[in-house]
Amino acid sequence: MDFNSIETTGLTKVYSSSFGKRKVQALTGLDLTVSAGTIFGFLGPNGAGKTTLIKLLLGITFPTSGSARILGEDISGYKIKSRIGYLPENHKYPPYLTGGEVLDFFGKLSGMEGDLLKKKIDELLELVNLSQWKKTKVKNYSKGMMQRLGLAQALLNDPELIFLDEPTDGVDPIGRKEIRDILTELKSRSKTIFLNSHLLSEVELITDRVGILNRGKLIREGTVKELTQKNEEYKLNLEGSNVDSFIKQYQDIFQISKLNNGYCNLKVSDANELNNILDKLRGEGIMVKEIVQQKNSLEEIFISLISESEKGGLK
Amino acid sequence: MKNIITVTWYSLREALARKVFIFFFVISILTIIFVGLILYLTGIEKIFAPGMQSDVFTAVNSLEMMFVSPITLICLLLSIFSSASFIPIMLEKGNIDLLLSKPISREQLLLGKFFGGILVVFLNIAFLILGVWLIFSLKFSIWNFEFLLTIFTITFIFSILYSIIVLFGIITKSSTLGMMIAYLLFLIVSPALYTAKYTLSVLIQSSFIKGLIDFAYYFLPKTSELMGKTNYDLASGHGITNYQPILTSLLFLVLTLGISVAIFRKKDF
Repeated sequence: MDFNSIETTGLTKVYSSSFGKRKVQALTGLDLTVSAGTIFGFLGPNGAGKTTLIKLLLGITFPTSGSARILGEDISGYKIKSRIGYLPENHKYPPYLTGGEVLDFFGKLSGMEGDLLKKKIDELLELVNLSQWKKTKVKNYSKGMMQRLGLAQALLNDPELIFLDEPTDGVDPIGRKEIRDILTELKSRSKTIFLNSHLLSEVELITDRVGILNRGKLIREGTVKELTQKNEEYKLNLEGSNVDSFIKQYQDIFQISKLNNGYCNLKVSDANELNNILDKLRGEGIMVKEIVQQKNSLEEIFISLISESEKGGLK
Repeated sequence: MKNIITVTWYSLREALARKVFIFFFVISILTIIFVGLILYLTGIEKIFAPGMQSDVFTAVNSLEMMFVSPITLICLLLSIFSSASFIPIMLEKGNIDLLLSKPISREQLLLGKFFGGILVVFLNIAFLILGVWLIFSLKFSIWNFEFLLTIFTITFIFSILYSIIVLFGIITKSSTLGMMIAYLLFLIVSPALYTAKYTLSVLIQSSFIKGLIDFAYYFLPKTSELMGKTNYDLASGHGITNYQPILTSLLFLVLTLGISVAIFRKKDF
């Protein structure tokens, strides 16, 4: 896929109070592109502007300035929404409807009808493990069941682009795994998924690219690998009788230190230095059994970037 | 159009899920039973003296109106109360986001909700009036079909009041203000303006005050006249004798709904 499902240019949203006395800058000049067929994770602390971006893209709220296109079309039209699915955070369904009726209502609003809709409802309820609850009123559903019904609702029209705002909120670990599997399967069918989530460990597991937002500004964007790898730090597994003496000899020259079970930690300035050390190790008859580039967790990176941004270190 | 029908249909479902509409329905059934009992057990036809045979139609019609008017008034007040939360509930966070994420225009969504509220009241009023009319017609063998036109007058009155509730519901996201204004207009302002225009105006000297009353009278809907004179004229087979209250009220309805749509189209959620 070589086109973008989402493109925003200088997208800005300022919320004003009723008499315009108080203004809140929810999003500031956001430039973002999300390629088709990928899972994009959008992260940020509460109030960073993540939900505002989704609402702008879906025409639920209107931009103060800037522009955006989804699936190649301007966001001002409503017909493009027939190709989009959305699971909002804290969604509410009419409590007097059953799970099946909720899907029937939203399916009809999405332009579906008849046997095709009925078949799709049964398929999706099966997919999210709610088949046996089809005729139960949603007021009797648990939070996790509501989330799963919400996911089914978002997939009704077989959308090309799916926005999910905290999809695993309130879902137990098994349910979360099931949702992750569904998202991975959707990606394999070339669907684009835009995922807002606080569960960074989950985002790390399934997303291709990640954007981090703070106070309405995009402070970092890249693949999970790009964001989490510590470029010049490696863990080496060494074998040889003279490993300890080697480390003692070179620990002041190279930043090498001993860990447990034959492992040591190495910090280098660049790839040349790394190769230089490897040559020296081999020259001393030490076998290098494993080299692993060290990574931060996404959570560590997230906290560090947000703290830096708060201190004004990131523009 | 399909979208409007879907939203209208599900608004009807929403209304049926509320106890107050069941209450409305129960009142209608009790009224029909009460009318039936009075007509069939009390021998009310004896009040028509043999000499007044030619006026039986008018007398039956008056009796029908006598039973239906207070009940429809109660039903209207109840309808305003029960439908006032339709729009605020639709605008709740988590609900409106979902609706607006679907391929439906904001106009279609709002009109669907508006027609849904009207459809509920229309069905309830139609049930009540048809029931009363059928009992009278069977008892007296007088089939006054014009009486059924009051279903439309009452639904029209409700739609005017409902348009006010919709407008204030969109602005405030609450049902309270819209409901209060609708009640105020229906129970106080409209009868007061009618009285001021046709009874008190001869006593008013100031042309400014007269102009003000005229403006308010022609601008605001005439629910009181529609409920009274227009309704009675239609029910008694005289047809519409004065189109002014209907047309000016219709204009008010269109204006209010138009403003609602314009605000709703631009509103952030």
